Amino acid sequence: MNLKFHWMLPKGGEVSLDEPQTPQAAARYRIQSTSNTSSAPRPDMEGWIHFARHAEAAGIESVLVSFSRYEPDPLVVACALGQATKRLKFIVAYRSGLMQPTTFVQQVNTLSALIGGRIALNVVAGSSTAEQHGYGDYLAHDDRYARAAEFLAVCRSFWKNDGEVDFDGKYYRVEKGRLHTPFLAPDRVAPEIYVSGHSESAEQLARTQGTCLLRVADVASKLQPSVARLRQLGVEVCLRVCVLCRGTREEAVGVAESLLPERDLPGQESNIATKDDSQMYREASRATDRKNNWLTRSLWTGLVPYYGPVWTALVGTPTEIAEALLEYKEIGVTQFIMSGWPEVDEVITFGREVLPLVRQAEQSSGEA
Amino acid sequence: MNLRFHWMLPKGGEVAMKTAQETSRVLTTKARSPAALPDIEGWSRFARHAEEAGIESVLLSFSRYEPDTILIACAVGRATTRLKFIIAYRSGLMQPPTFVQQINTLSALIGGRVALNIVAGSSTAEQRGYGDFLDHDERYARAEEFLAICHSFWQSKGEVDFDGKYYRVERGKLHTPFVAPGRQTPEIYVSGHSEQAEQLALKQGSCWLRLIDTPDKLRPLVARIREHGVEVCLRLCVVCRPTREEALAAARALLPDEEIGRQERGILASSDSQTLKQALAVADDVGWLNQYLWAGLVPYYGSSSITLVGTPEELAAAFLEYKRIGVTQFIIAGWPKLDEMVIFGREVMPLVRKAESH
Repeated sequence: MNLKFHWMLPKGGEVSLDEPQTPQAAARYRIQSTSNTSSAPRPDMEGWIHFARHAEAAGIESVLVSFSRYEPDPLVVACALGQATKRLKFIVAYRSGLMQPTTFVQQVNTLSALIGGRIALNVVAGSSTAEQHGYGDYLAHDDRYARAAEFLAVCRSFWKNDGEVDFDGKYYRVEKGRLHTPFLAPDRVAPEIYVSGHSESAEQLARTQGTCLLRVADVASKLQPSVARLRQLGVEVCLRVCVLCRGTREEAVGVAESLLPERDLPGQESNIATKDDSQMYREASRATDRKNNWLTRSLWTGLVPYYGPVWTALVGTPTEIAEALLEYKEIGVTQFIMSGWPEVDEVITFGREVLPLVRQAEQSSGEA
Repeated sequence: MNLRFHWMLPKGGEVAMKTAQETSRVLTTKARSPAALPDIEGWSRFARHAEEAGIESVLLSFSRYEPDTILIACAVGRATTRLKFIIAYRSGLMQPPTFVQQINTLSALIGGRVALNIVAGSSTAEQRGYGDFLDHDERYARAEEFLAICHSFWQSKGEVDFDGKYYRVERGKLHTPFVAPGRQTPEIYVSGHSEQAEQLALKQGSCWLRLIDTPDKLRPLVARIREHGVEVCLRLCVVCRPTREEALAAARALLPDEEIGRQERGILASSDSQTLKQALAVADDVGWLNQYLWAGLVPYYGSSSITLVGTPEELAAAFLEYKRIGVTQFIIAGWPKLDEMVIFGREVMPLVRKAESH
């Protein structure tokens, strides 16, 4: 099986159509996307369609549409964007606890029928306590995972599509549930479900209710035991990682370091710290102490102390990045969700320079 | 102000159907009904005709038998330029901030052509399938909290705090605004015939949506609602033909076969909605509520099938009479779904507009 590559959908207004954008400007836009003056909350069909064309041309399978109070609703965005594209799939991030599972299934099924089944789900148990409170959700971290398990169990009962759904749990109760609009896709009766998170609860949720665990990239040898365990249970592993690819190593490292903040930004750090009950963010804060941010020759966490774990990046030449991706493949990772600065330029580079090397290696190892 | 005319969006597959029997509720609620699937081709065709006919909006109904209304409005909205969408949704299916985030996103994607028809709930059985176990009165209390929070998000520039019986929101903040020319919140139609529904419309709505009745009966109700600055919109069906005889014959032809009729009555009897009970009680005694208003289809197709029957002149006169008692909007349906709307746009609408301009 070939590795599957997905990409983050850029934020609203992030794609620049008028003039070339520097990596620094792209990074700055993303950092400021939660400010009140950002255009990120506005749907950006023109920019997104531009990106989607390049992603399809680059051989990217899906885009992840993220969920937060700073952005438009990802289900509605996937609906609009799905109509404007033909091949690209949409991994829609949603948090359990925001709607009844029956309603969620009705929306997801409707969307599947509207865009030829090109939809997968990234179910997230929750975000920071403050953001969850703003959505009317007051459960603690572990309870949110217990609820997410019930949420997905109800969803999957509907997708089994063999009669009425009855469920009597701690968080949800459904009696003789029935939805007539089915999940429609060429080869599936239910969407793929990516479960993200770094805690034991997240891994367990992926095992019991998901098809794939989504987590931030780390050193392959560190990931190996957990990946092996999940694969044994039939669950895939997808790594979230940024990519910065240039013709020479010096160039790539130079660009990467140019993304570091000019001075220490206590603001951003405390911002990260407010996601107090997230395991992923606790790990990221610990990384702050570390002097050496090069975890391997190409895996760099230099930006993580400032902007969070999803800024973990693969930095290097096409050959170095292809090798790193193939090393993950060897330990059992099957998918990646990538991101770059700027997204359009980096997806073009990736499709032109890195992907052919990966496919070539996959083909020769297949023949061997 | 000119009267505003909206139309029901046909269910999936209905645009191509030619008889009322084909489009009856029995077929809709069958598991393999085409109503379960989006019908973008049929809907796009219908939408183009609606825009040409001078129809302002289409109402998208919500049920477990149909696709989700918010996503359908997004899909059809992206394929049209003028038509607006009145999206029916039930409170209690999602957290109000999530609902607002979806509606705001939709508004930005389709040029603000979004209004809401908030419904407190449906039959007890259907609500339980959605995980909702509240009874009728409590559903209205919850709907009021739901809309209060939505309004706070639409009006507030800062954070939203709410501590109610059904919902609690702390420092809620959504960055995607409701985007529409000339509005910062969607119009909100509240439907239902109970005292609670009327109260909800007065407190949280911009328009009370109810079934048509005779002008005499509606006059005091409408006056009371209008006094509070809330509009009244009537839901009805029309059968319009060049002569009265043709119209009556077309109306009678809508009565179902005996077998379908029996199944229909079974479905209606199982509902606990006040609206349906009232309409059924009326229609059991009399078919004709006045010279033009016919409830003969109610036992078979439900309370929303009270029908204005007549010639273009008779129908125009009837609409203008409702205008005189203070009604400002109508949501209409007909059979077949597309043809009747085309007739309305061509024959009735010009007469209404002419009278209004004098």
